[in-house]
Amino acid sequence: MTTPLLSARKLEVSFEIGRKGFFGKPRLLRAVRGVDFDLMPGRTLGLVGESGSGKTTTAMAAIRLAPSTGGSVSFEGTDLMTLPAEAMRAQRKHLQVIFQDPYSSLNPRERVGAIVREPLDLMNVGDPAGRDDRVRELFGLVGLRPDQMSLFPHQFSGGQRQRISIARALATNPRLIVCDEPVSALDVAIQAQILNLLRRLQDEFGLSYLFISHDLGVVQFICDDIAVMYLGEIVEYADRPTLFSKPRHPYTAVLLEAAPSLLRRKSAGYRRAGMVKGDLPSPMNLPKGCAFASRCPKAQERCRAEAPVLRDVGDSRVACHFPLD
Amino acid sequence: MSPLMSLSDLRVEFDTRHGRVTALSGISLDVMPGETLGIVGESGCGKSITALAMMGLIPNPPGHVTGGVIEFDGEDITRASNRRLRQLRGRDIAMIFQEPMTSLNPVFTVGDQIAEAILLHQDMSRAEADRQVIELLETVGIPEPEARAKSYPHQLSGGMRQRVMIAMAISCRPKLLIADEPTTALDVTVQAQIFDLMRDIQAKFGVAIVLITHDMGAIAEMTDRVAVMYAGRVIEQGTSDQILDTPLHPYTRGLIGCIPVLGRAAASTDRLPPLAEIPGVVPPLHLLGDGCAFAERCALADDHCRAVRPPLDDKGHPVACHHAGEIA
Amino acid sequence: MTKAVSPLGEAWGQFLRNKPAVAGLALLIVIVGFVLYGHFLFNADPYRIVWGPLTAPGEREGIPLGTDFLGRDIFVLLLKGGGPTMAVGLSAALLTVVIGIAMGALAGYFGGWVDDLLMRLTEFFQVLPALLFAMVLVTLFAPSLVTISFAIGIVSWPGTARLTRAEFLRIRELEYVTAARSIGAGNSRIIWKVILPNALPPLIVSAALTVGVAILFEAGLSFLGLGDPNTISWGQMIGQNRNFLLEAWWPVAIPGLAIFFTVFAVSLVGDGLNDAFNPKLRSR
Repeated sequence: MTTPLLSARKLEVSFEIGRKGFFGKPRLLRAVRGVDFDLMPGRTLGLVGESGSGKTTTAMAAIRLAPSTGGSVSFEGTDLMTLPAEAMRAQRKHLQVIFQDPYSSLNPRERVGAIVREPLDLMNVGDPAGRDDRVRELFGLVGLRPDQMSLFPHQFSGGQRQRISIARALATNPRLIVCDEPVSALDVAIQAQILNLLRRLQDEFGLSYLFISHDLGVVQFICDDIAVMYLGEIVEYADRPTLFSKPRHPYTAVLLEAAPSLLRRKSAGYRRAGMVKGDLPSPMNLPKGCAFASRCPKAQERCRAEAPVLRDVGDSRVACHFPLD
Repeated sequence: MSPLMSLSDLRVEFDTRHGRVTALSGISLDVMPGETLGIVGESGCGKSITALAMMGLIPNPPGHVTGGVIEFDGEDITRASNRRLRQLRGRDIAMIFQEPMTSLNPVFTVGDQIAEAILLHQDMSRAEADRQVIELLETVGIPEPEARAKSYPHQLSGGMRQRVMIAMAISCRPKLLIADEPTTALDVTVQAQIFDLMRDIQAKFGVAIVLITHDMGAIAEMTDRVAVMYAGRVIEQGTSDQILDTPLHPYTRGLIGCIPVLGRAAASTDRLPPLAEIPGVVPPLHLLGDGCAFAERCALADDHCRAVRPPLDDKGHPVACHHAGEIA
Repeated sequence: MTKAVSPLGEAWGQFLRNKPAVAGLALLIVIVGFVLYGHFLFNADPYRIVWGPLTAPGEREGIPLGTDFLGRDIFVLLLKGGGPTMAVGLSAALLTVVIGIAMGALAGYFGGWVDDLLMRLTEFFQVLPALLFAMVLVTLFAPSLVTISFAIGIVSWPGTARLTRAEFLRIRELEYVTAARSIGAGNSRIIWKVILPNALPPLIVSAALTVGVAILFEAGLSFLGLGDPNTISWGQMIGQNRNFLLEAWWPVAIPGLAIFFTVFAVSLVGDGLNDAFNPKLRSR
C-alpha cells in the first residue's frame, strides 16, 4: 500500500472565547475534535459539511495556516506540527492553497503578474531571470493571456481571478493544493470551467487536492475520497462510489436528501423524505452523546448517552451506533 | 384562467457611468394563480430587477421603467400611485430576500416586526395581531413561538430568520410571493427545510410563487414553469420539464450541462466525464450589440446571429435562438 | 489589449471628477506657490518698519495690506510667515502619521497583549487635554518650530493609531493575507507590504485633515504667546496684534483669513480624497 501524502491524527483546534468572570477559566470552543484523515498521492480528498462543521479549520490547521491545539500531521513523513518556523516556511513550497473568495484572495494593489511571481521570489524557486517566463507559462496553463499580466485584480471577472489564484498556487510546483470552496462564489457556468481546469491540472501534474466544499454535486464530480464532517468531527469517511450509493451515517443521508438535484421534479410530485429539524447545537455546549442526536431521525437513548467513534462498517468508516444499511 | 401577474414587453433602463443601459428589454412573463414560476440565470442577467419590477420597486434614480406594462390582477401597476403601490405591497404581493439578517430590523423583536406588518394592512387590535403572530410563527415551523416572538433577529439562526421573513410575508395572505434567492445564504439542510416550508405554504394558502434562482436543482424541485434569462432578456420559456429535458437554447443546454448532477452515476467507480462548459463570461450591458447577446459564447453562432437578434418564437416552446435545438 | 488601471490611478481619476476637491487643490497650490516663491517677487525684510504702525490696507501705495502694530508690512510678513506655518503643519502631520501607523499596525496585526498594551497607551494620550499638554511640552523644551511640531504630533497621533488598528483588524482577516502567509511571507512583509498599502486610503485622508488641524494648533499656541519667538508665523501675527484689535482689525483678520483659506483648501482636498477612495460613493 502506498503511504499517504498528508495524514492527520487526532487533530484538535480550540479557540478561547472570553472568560467566565475576570479571573475565571477561559471558555473553549472546540472547532475540530480529534480528526484523522489520509490523503493519498494523486487523489482528491473531500472535506464536506455545513457551516460550523469545522471543515475549513481542519484543513487550515493541517497545513499550519491556523494554529492547532493537539494532534499531529505528517506530510511526506515530516511532522508539520513540530517543525521550526523556518523549516515550515520551506515546506510551503509543496503545500499551496486556493481560496474561496476570488475578490478577497488577491491583493488589490499588486499587478496579477507580480501576484503569481511572488511565491517564486519568496521561495527562491528558479533563477530570477527565468521567473517571468515561468509566470507566462502559468498564465497559459490556467487559460489566461500573458498580456494580462500587468493588469490589477479588479480588472478581472470572478472566474478569471480564480484562475489567477490557481496559477499562484501552481507556481512552486506543489505536491498538495488545499482547495477551500474554490467554486462556491462563482456562477454555475464558470464553476464548470474551474472544476474542469482543476481536474486537468491534477492529471497533468499528479497533484493531490484537499478539497473543502459544502456542495455534494461538486464533491461527487471531483473527489475520490470523502470525509463528511459535523460539528468538528468526521462522521463518515468513504470513497466516492460507496458514499454516494450507500450512505451509512444518517447525517450523510440527510445531506444527500437535502441537496437539490435535477433528478427530483415537482412535476413528478417529488416530496422530500424526512428532513432534519432545527439547527446545529451550539459548539460551546456540546451534548454528551452523539453531536447529531438532537436532530437525527433515528436517534435513540444510547445516542444521547454515549458518543459513537469512527469504525468500519462495510466499505465505509462511520461514527454512528445505528448505521444505515 | 387569467394570469395573476403579467409583464408585457417590459423595458427597464439604468443610468450608469457608461451612460444609460438597458437592464431589461422586452420582458414578457405570466404568473398564473397558485403556480410557481422559476426565473433562472447567471448574475447580472436581470432576474432580480425583474422581481423588483413586479413589486414596483425599481429604484429611481438610477432606474427607469421606460416601456411595457406590469399588470397585477388586471391592474397596471406602472400607472398606480405610490399610495396604491404601498397598499399592494405586503398585502397582495410579498417578497422574501436573500439575506434574512439585513432584511430584519435589529432593534425590534421579531414579534413586533411581524405585528407591525399585520397592522399596516389590517384593521385589528394589537392584542389580536399578537395572537396572529404566534399563529404565523407556528405555521412557519418555529418551535416555542411565544418565546421566539420576543427574540431579537440576532438571537436567531439564519434559517429561523428566513422563517420569520416568510411569516411576515404571508401575514396578510398575499396572492403572490416573490422569493429572490431565498436560500443562497443558507446551508443545504436549512435550504431544504425552507423549500419544504414554501411548498407547504403554497399548498395551504394557494399563493403563487416567483422563485428567482441560479440553481437548476431548485428549479427542478420547486417550479412548474421556468423562464431562462440572459443579458436582460427572456431567452427560453416553458414548463420545467420542457426546459430541463428538452432545452432548445444553447445557453440553457450549457447551464444544465455544466452542473455536476448529484445522484447521476453515483455508484460508478469510473471518473465522471468533464462538465460541459460555457466559455467566456456574460457581456456587460453597456457593450451589447444588435445581434444575439449570447453569440460570442456560443458554438453555433454565425454571422446572422451576430447581426440579427433572434425573437422569442414558439419552436415547441418559446425560445429566442436562430439555431434552436441544433447541436454543435 | 486592456490597459492596466491601478486602484490608486482609478481613485485619482475619481478625484479629478470632484469639482470642489479640484478647486481646493488649485487653491492650495496657489497658496503654497505664493509662500514658497513669493519672496522672489517681493524680496523685502519682513522685520523692517515701512511706515507708521497700524496703517490700514490701501491707505498708502506700496503697502497693499497695511502695517502691523510695529509698522511692518503685513503683506511681506504673510509671505514669510506662511513657510513656518506650513512646515509645522506638515511635520506635525508626518509625525502623527508615523507614530499612529506604527502603533496601530502593531496593535491590530498582533492583537493579544500587544494590542492591550498599545491601546491603553493610546487611550492615555487621547484623554490628555491636548492644548494644555502641548503647552506644557513647549514651555518645558523652549518654544521652537521643532518642539512645537513635536508637541502637536505627540498629542494628535491617537486618532490615526485607532484608525490604522481598525483597518488592520479588518484586512488581516482577508484571504489575501492568508494567501501571503501560505506562500511563506513573514510578519514584517505582511504588515508593511501587504496590509499597509491596502490600509492607506483612509490614512491618507486623515493625514491631509491632520495638516489642517496642526496649522490651527500652531496658530493657537502662537496666539497664546507660545510660538517660536525667532520666526514669523501666521498664528504669531494674530497673537502679537490681538491687543490692538479694537483700533485695527486687519493685522489680525488678514493672517486669520490666510489660515482659514489654507485649512479650507486642505479640507476640500481631504474630503475629495475620501470620496475618491470610498468605492460606495463611486457611480457604477
